[in-house]
Amino acid sequence: MKRLLFIPLFLILFTSLSTAQTLNEDQLQQRVREVSKTLRCAVCQSESVWESNAELAIQMRDIVRERLIQGESPDQIRAYFVSRYGDYILLKPRAFGLNLLLWGGPFLLLIIGGTFLFRTLRKWVAETAPASPEELSPIDEKSRRRIEQEIRGLEPDK
Amino acid sequence: MAETKSPSVGIRGWQIALLVGILGLIILFYKGLWGNPNFIPPVLVGTQAPEITGPDLYQPKEVSLSQFRGKVVVLNFWASWCLECKLEHQNLLAIQKRFAQNPNFVLLGVNYQDKEDLARQYLQEHGNSFEHVRDVKGRISIDYGVYGVPETFVIDQNGVIRHKQIGPIVGETYTFLVERMIEPLLNGTATTS
Repeated sequence: MKRLLFIPLFLILFTSLSTAQTLNEDQLQQRVREVSKTLRCAVCQSESVWESNAELAIQMRDIVRERLIQGESPDQIRAYFVSRYGDYILLKPRAFGLNLLLWGGPFLLLIIGGTFLFRTLRKWVAETAPASPEELSPIDEKSRRRIEQEIRGLEPDK
Repeated sequence: MAETKSPSVGIRGWQIALLVGILGLIILFYKGLWGNPNFIPPVLVGTQAPEITGPDLYQPKEVSLSQFRGKVVVLNFWASWCLECKLEHQNLLAIQKRFAQNPNFVLLGVNYQDKEDLARQYLQEHGNSFEHVRDVKGRISIDYGVYGVPETFVIDQNGVIRHKQIGPIVGETYTFLVERMIEPLLNGTATTS
Protein backbone atom coordinates (compact mmCIF):
# COMPACT_ATOMS: atom_id res chain seq x y z
CA MET A 1 0.00 0.00 0.00
CA LYS A 2 2.78 2.35 0.81
CA ARG A 3 4.20 1.93 -2.65
CA LEU A 4 0.91 2.87 -4.20
CA LEU A 5 1.05 6.14 -2.35
CA PHE A 6 4.33 6.97 -3.94
CA ILE A 7 3.01 6.80 -7.46
CA PRO A 8 0.77 9.92 -7.33
CA LEU A 9 3.48 11.68 -5.36
CA PHE A 10 5.98 11.05 -8.10
CA LEU A 11 3.48 11.98 -10.73
CA ILE A 12 2.82 15.32 -9.06
CA LEU A 13 6.49 15.90 -8.62
CA PHE A 14 7.31 15.15 -12.23
CA THR A 15 4.45 17.11 -13.76
CA SER A 16 5.27 20.14 -11.67
CA LEU A 17 8.89 19.83 -12.67
CA SER A 18 8.09 19.55 -16.32
CA THR A 19 5.65 22.50 -16.27
CA ALA A 20 8.30 24.61 -14.60
CA GLN A 21 10.66 23.59 -17.38
CA THR A 22 8.25 24.44 -20.18
CA LEU A 23 7.41 27.76 -18.57
CA ASN A 24 11.05 28.75 -18.56
CA GLU A 25 11.43 27.44 -22.07
CA ASP A 26 8.40 29.48 -23.18
CA GLN A 27 9.76 32.60 -21.57
CA LEU A 28 13.13 32.02 -23.16
CA GLN A 29 11.53 31.41 -26.54
CA GLN A 30 9.54 34.61 -26.12
CA ARG A 31 12.71 36.58 -25.47
CA VAL A 32 14.56 34.93 -28.37
CA ARG A 33 11.62 35.95 -30.51
CA GLU A 34 11.69 39.55 -29.27
CA VAL A 35 15.39 39.95 -29.95
CA SER A 36 15.57 38.10 -33.25
CA LYS A 37 12.60 40.04 -34.63
CA THR A 38 14.73 43.17 -34.45
CA LEU A 39 17.61 41.59 -36.38
CA ARG A 40 17.82 41.39 -40.12
CA CYS A 41 18.66 38.10 -41.76
CA ALA A 42 21.83 38.91 -43.70
CA VAL A 43 21.11 36.46 -46.52
CA CYS A 44 17.37 36.99 -47.04
CA GLN A 45 17.57 40.66 -46.42
CA SER A 46 13.94 41.66 -46.14
CA GLU A 47 13.19 39.09 -43.45
CA SER A 48 13.95 39.17 -39.78
CA VAL A 49 16.12 36.54 -38.17
CA TRP A 50 12.99 35.29 -36.44
CA GLU A 51 10.98 34.77 -39.64
CA SER A 52 13.73 33.38 -41.80
CA ASN A 53 14.60 29.76 -42.10
CA ALA A 54 17.96 30.35 -43.73
CA GLU A 55 20.75 28.47 -42.02
CA LEU A 56 22.44 31.72 -41.05
CA ALA A 57 19.24 32.95 -39.39
CA ILE A 58 18.84 29.67 -37.50
CA GLN A 59 22.42 29.95 -36.29
CA MET A 60 21.87 33.55 -35.29
CA ARG A 61 18.79 32.53 -33.29
CA ASP A 62 20.92 29.92 -31.54
CA ILE A 63 23.44 32.60 -30.63
CA VAL A 64 20.67 34.89 -29.36
CA ARG A 65 19.34 32.03 -27.22
CA GLU A 66 22.79 31.13 -25.86
CA ARG A 67 23.56 34.70 -24.96
CA LEU A 68 20.18 35.15 -23.27
CA ILE A 69 20.87 32.05 -21.18
CA GLN A 70 24.24 33.55 -20.28
CA GLY A 71 22.32 36.53 -18.94
CA GLU A 72 23.02 39.08 -21.64
CA SER A 73 20.45 41.82 -22.22
CA PRO A 74 18.74 42.24 -25.63
CA ASP A 75 20.72 45.45 -26.16
CA GLN A 76 24.01 43.67 -25.46
CA ILE A 77 23.09 40.95 -27.96
CA ARG A 78 22.13 43.50 -30.60
CA ALA A 79 25.39 45.35 -29.93
CA TYR A 80 27.29 42.13 -30.62
CA PHE A 81 25.66 41.67 -34.03
CA VAL A 82 26.14 45.35 -34.88
CA SER A 83 29.85 45.03 -34.05
CA ARG A 84 30.05 42.21 -36.60
CA TYR A 85 27.68 43.28 -39.36
CA GLY A 86 27.26 47.01 -38.72
CA ASP A 87 23.99 48.91 -38.31
CA TYR A 88 22.84 47.01 -41.32
CA ILE A 89 21.84 44.04 -39.19
CA LEU A 90 19.21 46.03 -37.29
CA LEU A 91 15.77 46.04 -38.90
CA LYS A 92 15.05 49.34 -37.19
CA PRO A 93 18.20 51.44 -37.59
CA ARG A 94 19.38 53.41 -34.61
CA ALA A 95 18.81 57.15 -34.53
CA PHE A 96 22.50 57.97 -34.46
CA GLY A 97 25.03 59.92 -36.52
CA LEU A 98 24.07 60.19 -40.15
CA ASN A 99 20.97 58.14 -39.44
CA LEU A 100 19.77 60.91 -37.15
CA LEU A 101 19.70 63.25 -40.13
CA LEU A 102 17.53 60.80 -42.04
CA TRP A 103 15.19 60.41 -39.09
CA GLY A 104 14.95 64.04 -38.12
CA GLY A 105 15.84 65.80 -41.38
CA PRO A 106 12.37 65.92 -42.92
CA PHE A 107 10.82 67.12 -39.66
CA LEU A 108 13.54 69.73 -39.25
CA LEU A 109 12.94 70.98 -42.77
CA LEU A 110 9.20 71.05 -42.11
CA ILE A 111 9.75 73.21 -39.02
CA ILE A 112 12.17 75.52 -40.86
CA GLY A 113 9.87 75.75 -43.87
CA GLY A 114 6.83 76.33 -41.67
CA THR A 115 8.59 79.09 -39.74
CA PHE A 116 9.72 80.66 -42.97
CA LEU A 117 6.22 80.53 -44.45
CA PHE A 118 4.67 81.92 -41.28
CA ARG A 119 7.12 84.82 -41.17
CA THR A 120 6.68 85.59 -44.84
CA LEU A 121 2.89 85.57 -44.58
CA ARG A 122 3.00 87.80 -41.53
CA LYS A 123 5.31 90.16 -43.34
CA TRP A 124 2.98 90.33 -46.32
CA VAL A 125 0.05 91.10 -44.04
CA ALA A 126 2.04 93.80 -42.28
CA GLU A 127 3.28 95.33 -45.52
CA THR A 128 -0.11 95.47 -47.17
CA ALA A 129 -1.83 98.74 -46.22
CA PRO A 130 -5.50 98.45 -45.16
CA ALA A 131 -7.79 99.10 -48.06
CA SER A 132 -9.51 102.46 -48.34
CA PRO A 133 -13.37 102.61 -48.43
CA GLU A 134 -13.24 103.46 -52.14
CA GLU A 135 -11.17 100.35 -52.81
CA LEU A 136 -13.60 98.18 -50.86
CA SER A 137 -16.52 99.22 -53.10
CA PRO A 138 -15.06 99.59 -56.50
CA ILE A 139 -18.23 98.57 -58.32
CA ASP A 140 -20.34 101.41 -59.55
CA GLU A 141 -24.10 101.53 -59.10
CA LYS A 142 -24.82 100.36 -62.65
CA SER A 143 -22.74 97.25 -62.35
CA ARG A 144 -24.19 96.44 -58.92
CA ARG A 145 -27.71 96.55 -60.29
CA ARG A 146 -26.73 94.37 -63.20
CA ILE A 147 -25.26 91.73 -60.86
CA GLU A 148 -28.34 91.75 -58.63
CA GLN A 149 -30.50 91.25 -61.68
CA GLU A 150 -28.41 88.30 -62.85
CA ILE A 151 -28.59 86.67 -59.41
CA ARG A 152 -32.35 87.06 -59.32
CA GLY A 153 -32.51 85.42 -62.71
CA LEU A 154 -30.75 82.37 -61.28
CA GLU A 155 -33.29 81.81 -58.49
CA PRO A 156 -35.09 78.49 -59.01
CA ASP A 157 -38.71 79.61 -58.33
CA LYS A 158 -38.63 81.97 -61.26
CA MET B 1 14.27 102.49 -46.17
CA ALA B 2 17.03 100.79 -44.24
CA GLU B 3 14.45 99.14 -41.98
CA THR B 4 12.48 97.59 -44.81
CA LYS B 5 15.69 96.31 -46.41
CA SER B 6 17.10 94.33 -43.46
CA PRO B 7 14.25 91.77 -42.98
CA SER B 8 14.42 90.81 -46.65
CA VAL B 9 18.14 90.11 -46.26
CA GLY B 10 17.31 87.91 -43.27
CA ILE B 11 14.79 86.01 -45.29
CA ARG B 12 17.31 85.52 -48.06
CA GLY B 13 19.62 83.90 -45.48
CA TRP B 14 16.78 81.59 -44.46
CA GLN B 15 16.11 80.73 -48.06
CA ILE B 16 19.71 79.78 -48.68
CA ALA B 17 19.85 77.64 -45.54
CA LEU B 18 16.60 75.95 -46.56
CA LEU B 19 17.85 75.29 -50.07
CA VAL B 20 21.12 73.84 -48.79
CA GLY B 21 19.21 71.65 -46.33
CA ILE B 22 16.83 70.35 -48.98
CA LEU B 23 19.66 69.72 -51.43
CA GLY B 24 21.65 67.89 -48.75
CA LEU B 25 18.71 65.63 -47.95
CA ILE B 26 18.04 64.98 -51.63
CA ILE B 27 21.68 63.92 -52.10
CA LEU B 28 21.48 61.70 -49.00
CA PHE B 29 18.24 60.05 -50.11
CA TYR B 30 19.52 59.73 -53.66
CA LYS B 31 22.65 57.96 -52.49
CA GLY B 32 20.55 55.72 -50.27
CA LEU B 33 18.21 54.94 -53.14
CA TRP B 34 20.82 54.08 -55.73
CA GLY B 35 23.41 52.47 -53.52
CA ASN B 36 23.69 48.69 -53.49
CA PRO B 37 21.04 47.52 -50.99
CA ASN B 38 22.84 44.21 -50.53
CA PHE B 39 26.07 45.85 -49.51
CA ILE B 40 27.00 45.12 -45.92
CA PRO B 41 29.74 47.48 -44.76
CA PRO B 42 32.91 45.67 -43.63
CA VAL B 43 32.79 47.03 -40.08
CA LEU B 44 35.51 44.69 -38.84
CA VAL B 45 38.27 46.07 -41.07
CA GLY B 46 40.78 47.89 -38.88
CA THR B 47 39.78 46.05 -35.72
CA GLN B 48 41.26 43.09 -33.88
CA ALA B 49 40.34 39.82 -35.59
CA PRO B 50 37.94 37.73 -33.46
CA GLU B 51 39.44 34.56 -32.03
CA ILE B 52 38.69 31.36 -33.88
CA THR B 53 38.19 27.97 -32.31
CA GLY B 54 37.01 25.03 -34.30
CA PRO B 55 37.90 21.50 -35.30
CA ASP B 56 40.41 20.87 -38.06
CA LEU B 57 38.80 19.42 -41.17
CA TYR B 58 41.23 16.52 -41.31
CA GLN B 59 42.99 16.02 -38.01
CA PRO B 60 41.38 15.52 -34.61
CA LYS B 61 42.63 18.83 -33.22
CA GLU B 62 41.38 22.31 -32.50
CA VAL B 63 42.43 25.22 -34.68
CA SER B 64 42.65 28.71 -33.21
CA LEU B 65 43.71 32.00 -34.73
CA SER B 66 45.93 32.91 -31.77
CA GLN B 67 48.27 30.03 -32.61
CA PHE B 68 49.23 32.01 -35.75
CA ARG B 69 49.97 35.22 -33.84
CA GLY B 70 52.77 37.22 -35.43
CA LYS B 71 51.98 35.89 -38.90
CA VAL B 72 50.03 37.29 -41.81
CA VAL B 73 46.86 35.21 -41.94
CA VAL B 74 44.60 34.98 -44.95
CA LEU B 75 41.21 33.61 -43.90
CA ASN B 76 39.10 32.22 -46.67
CA PHE B 77 35.46 31.28 -46.01
CA TRP B 78 34.26 28.66 -48.45
CA ALA B 79 31.76 25.83 -48.92
CA SER B 80 31.48 22.85 -51.21
CA TRP B 81 28.05 24.01 -52.46
CA CYS B 82 29.39 27.45 -53.37
CA LEU B 83 29.89 27.94 -57.10
CA GLU B 84 31.97 31.09 -56.86
CA CYS B 85 34.35 29.31 -54.50
CA LYS B 86 35.27 26.98 -57.36
CA LEU B 87 36.18 30.03 -59.46
CA GLU B 88 38.77 31.20 -56.97
CA HIS B 89 40.03 27.85 -55.75
CA GLN B 90 42.96 27.58 -58.16
CA ASN B 91 43.97 31.12 -57.19
CA LEU B 92 43.94 30.15 -53.52
CA LEU B 93 46.25 27.27 -54.31
CA ALA B 94 48.45 29.70 -56.25
CA ILE B 95 48.60 32.08 -53.27
CA GLN B 96 49.56 29.21 -50.99
CA LYS B 97 52.22 28.07 -53.45
CA ARG B 98 53.60 31.57 -53.81
CA PHE B 99 54.03 32.19 -50.07
CA ALA B 100 54.53 28.63 -48.82
CA GLN B 101 58.25 29.29 -48.26
CA ASN B 102 57.52 32.26 -46.03
CA PRO B 103 57.26 31.16 -42.39
CA ASN B 104 55.24 34.29 -41.62
CA PHE B 105 52.40 33.43 -43.95
CA VAL B 106 49.32 31.30 -43.23
CA LEU B 107 46.40 30.56 -45.48
CA LEU B 108 43.52 29.15 -43.46
CA GLY B 109 40.30 27.89 -44.97
CA VAL B 110 37.07 28.16 -42.99
CA ASN B 111 34.51 25.63 -44.13
CA TYR B 112 31.16 27.40 -43.93
CA GLN B 113 27.74 25.72 -43.50
CA ASP B 114 28.90 22.51 -45.01
CA LYS B 115 28.92 18.78 -44.44
CA GLU B 116 32.24 17.30 -43.45
CA ASP B 117 32.33 14.58 -46.10
CA LEU B 118 31.20 16.96 -48.86
CA ALA B 119 33.90 19.43 -47.87
CA ARG B 120 36.58 16.75 -48.01
CA GLN B 121 35.26 15.49 -51.33
CA TYR B 122 35.40 19.03 -52.72
CA LEU B 123 39.03 19.45 -51.66
CA GLN B 124 39.94 16.09 -53.10
CA GLU B 125 38.44 17.09 -56.42
CA HIS B 126 39.83 20.61 -56.64
CA GLY B 127 43.11 20.25 -54.81
CA ASN B 128 44.18 21.09 -51.31
CA SER B 129 47.43 22.54 -50.00
CA PHE B 130 46.52 24.38 -46.81
CA GLU B 131 44.77 23.93 -43.48
CA HIS B 132 41.01 24.15 -42.99
CA VAL B 133 38.89 24.69 -39.92
CA ARG B 134 35.27 23.61 -39.69
CA ASP B 135 32.82 26.34 -38.76
CA VAL B 136 30.50 24.51 -36.40
CA LYS B 137 27.05 26.14 -36.11
CA GLY B 138 28.27 29.26 -37.86
CA ARG B 139 30.10 30.55 -34.80
CA ILE B 140 33.22 31.63 -36.70
CA SER B 141 31.46 33.14 -39.70
CA ILE B 142 28.97 35.12 -37.63
CA ASP B 143 31.85 36.36 -35.49
CA TYR B 144 33.40 37.65 -38.71
CA GLY B 145 30.19 39.14 -40.05
CA VAL B 146 30.15 36.74 -42.98
CA TYR B 147 26.85 36.50 -44.85
CA GLY B 148 27.85 34.57 -47.91
CA VAL B 149 30.79 32.77 -49.41
CA PRO B 150 33.40 33.27 -50.62
CA GLU B 151 34.66 35.96 -48.29
CA THR B 152 38.34 36.49 -47.55
CA PHE B 153 40.02 38.40 -44.72
CA VAL B 154 43.64 39.51 -44.55
CA ILE B 155 44.92 39.73 -40.97
CA ASP B 156 48.26 41.37 -40.19
CA GLN B 157 51.01 40.28 -37.75
CA ASN B 158 49.30 42.15 -34.92
CA GLY B 159 46.02 40.34 -35.44
CA VAL B 160 44.32 43.35 -37.03
CA ILE B 161 42.00 42.78 -39.98
CA ARG B 162 43.44 44.80 -42.84
CA HIS B 163 41.21 43.84 -45.70
CA LYS B 164 37.95 42.08 -46.44
CA GLN B 165 37.24 40.67 -49.86
CA ILE B 166 33.64 39.82 -50.67
CA GLY B 167 33.29 37.52 -53.65
CA PRO B 168 35.81 35.34 -55.45
CA ILE B 169 39.51 36.13 -55.73
CA VAL B 170 39.80 36.31 -59.50
CA GLY B 171 41.53 38.59 -61.99
CA GLU B 172 42.39 42.02 -60.59
CA THR B 173 41.26 41.00 -57.14
CA TYR B 174 43.92 38.30 -57.09
CA THR B 175 46.65 40.72 -58.17
CA PHE B 176 45.48 43.27 -55.62
CA LEU B 177 45.40 40.73 -52.81
CA VAL B 178 48.83 39.29 -53.58
CA GLU B 179 50.75 42.40 -54.59
CA ARG B 180 49.03 45.16 -52.67
CA MET B 181 47.97 43.38 -49.49
CA ILE B 182 49.92 40.23 -48.66
CA GLU B 183 53.37 41.10 -50.04
CA PRO B 184 53.58 44.57 -48.43
CA LEU B 185 52.46 43.08 -45.11
CA LEU B 186 55.06 40.32 -45.29
CA ASN B 187 57.78 42.80 -46.30
CA GLY B 188 56.76 45.22 -43.61
CA THR B 189 56.14 47.88 -46.26
CA ALA B 190 52.39 48.04 -45.89
CA THR B 191 50.96 51.47 -45.26
CA THR B 192 49.55 51.69 -41.78
CA SER B 193 45.84 52.22 -41.89
